[in-house]
Amino acid sequence: MSDPTTQPKFLPYEERCEVEDFILTEARYADESRYDDWEALLEDDMIYWVPRGVGDFDPNRDISIINDNRSRVATRIRQLKTGTRHSQTPVSPMSRIISNIVITRLSDSEYKVNANFVLHEIAVQSTEIMNIMPGRVEYHIRRRENGFGMFYKKITLINGASAVPTIAYLI
Amino acid sequence: MSSSDELPIGQLVRKESVHSRVYTDKKIFDREMEEIFRQGWVFIGHASEVPKKGNFIRRTMGLEEVLMVRTMDNEISVLANRCTHRGNLLCQHKKGKKRNFACEYHGWVFDFKGNLIDVPFSDGFKGELADHATTAAKVSNYRGFVFATFNTDPISLEEHLGRARFALDRASDLAPGGELDLYGGWVEHAFKSNWKMLAENNVDGYHVSFVHDSFAKGIKVNYKYENVLVTEEDKLECVARDLGDGHAEIDYEPTYEKPLVWLGVDPDRYPEYTDAMAKAYGAEESQEIMRKGPPHTFIFPNLFIAETAVTMVQPTGVDGVVNWHTPLYLKGAPEAVNRRILRQCEAALGPSAFLLADDATISERQWAELENSPAWLDLSRGADREEVEEGGTITSHYTDETPNRGYWQHYAKVFNDADARAADNAKSAVEAAE
Repeated sequence: MSDPTTQPKFLPYEERCEVEDFILTEARYADESRYDDWEALLEDDMIYWVPRGVGDFDPNRDISIINDNRSRVATRIRQLKTGTRHSQTPVSPMSRIISNIVITRLSDSEYKVNANFVLHEIAVQSTEIMNIMPGRVEYHIRRRENGFGMFYKKITLINGASAVPTIAYLI
Repeated sequence: MSSSDELPIGQLVRKESVHSRVYTDKKIFDREMEEIFRQGWVFIGHASEVPKKGNFIRRTMGLEEVLMVRTMDNEISVLANRCTHRGNLLCQHKKGKKRNFACEYHGWVFDFKGNLIDVPFSDGFKGELADHATTAAKVSNYRGFVFATFNTDPISLEEHLGRARFALDRASDLAPGGELDLYGGWVEHAFKSNWKMLAENNVDGYHVSFVHDSFAKGIKVNYKYENVLVTEEDKLECVARDLGDGHAEIDYEPTYEKPLVWLGVDPDRYPEYTDAMAKAYGAEESQEIMRKGPPHTFIFPNLFIAETAVTMVQPTGVDGVVNWHTPLYLKGAPEAVNRRILRQCEAALGPSAFLLADDATISERQWAELENSPAWLDLSRGADREEVEEGGTITSHYTDETPNRGYWQHYAKVFNDADARAADNAKSAVEAAE
């Protein structure tokens, strides 16, 4: 891995667009509960992590809201696809805005992306309440044939240390 | 408080049914906060959460803010988190370490037993410090589980725990030193339903094959719940128990044929752990402790040992409850064992979990329906096939409503007793006046 400090401060425009396009596509698949399309974006070493709010947490010591490796994400998606995952039956209508995007090149083929998000979700399975979930997100992605694959997604909910409603959808 | 004439809550509970009003009536909720969460014993936290003198955590008893503190005498106190001057929240931090609690409004300072010890600009202070202590609850601890009550003359904690105390032994004994160490922090999951629905659901074996059917289909690997995710009634070997005093459990032990099934691993997976356990308890007893595994036991009104997690129920209103959970970390066990416990805990509990997310959804649907369509709800399942054990514990089939019947009988008794006391007091007052 090359030293990130030696990289140019700004990525070339096209490279930035490629990376942005990937994370916005990932957001769209999640919004639309397109489970197979979303899962196809994942690398084998995927970590899908939602710590309990803002702070310095150790995922192997502090309890998380979600801490999935690739195999547990696969279980999650199989469960969502059964048709009897009550907490997502029917699926929540969702819309997430991704903004404040900062891209760092980790190596010739890998990037780190930091962004802010706000997700609006309607709990149509039960309360019909519109939930607003705001936070920060960090993605690690790598180039592969036909685009990128994602191997890390950390979602830091700013309300994660308080009581949060059910989050059975892809966040 | 409401008298028995106004609201005979006990009449909303029958032997094999309960009226939905107990979940939806705000007046009943207010009485619960008084009779159950102020006058009864309530689980607050675990001693390991305040390991050093001056460590504190912020919790609630019912709706009331409290602080659980390790005092300078190395005891644990539970105080109303409220300044006695103008009612300001005494401490905003969720946890930390302090020498005392100084109110940020006018600087009144309280010690860890609740005594007011300093008032700024004392020349103008007209009262006595001793008259302004913040309320200290009565506190008692069993195997590190700290309980408190604002009742000034409560029954003993041992009496309150009754036969459920064995569940706390069973959980704690899984650590080679016999102690839990709850350092993993808590995730808080909010449900828009009534707190009692969550408490009941924790020990309802009947729902598992239906609410958690998607998990059974979604998992590939062997899992500790595989034995209960079957559809034939006569193949379900675990049992449901009413332990008395509102406490109840589902016992998975009958399905565990060898040690560590509850961790979803082979008995020889963690030799360092099994050796430490053998050293602590002897070869034979340690094997039996590790075979039986942790309990799945609800302790009235708000503590639930969910096998490898400790959970607590926090009512936030008649239509709101927060389910807290933390990993059942075993002090002195190898890191690999506690990491496994952490992963199990994350799989089962919390807003995104394979299990609780679906329980929350069903509970929210149930609450909304009952608010709009009051009804008597059936609790009769299995009432004719129960067995009463020595001591009074009632055991039945895994899917029977035995735990919930026990829960409601105790709930009714709490209010019947309170109503009888109120009637006695009223009678005495009349007699005194004559």
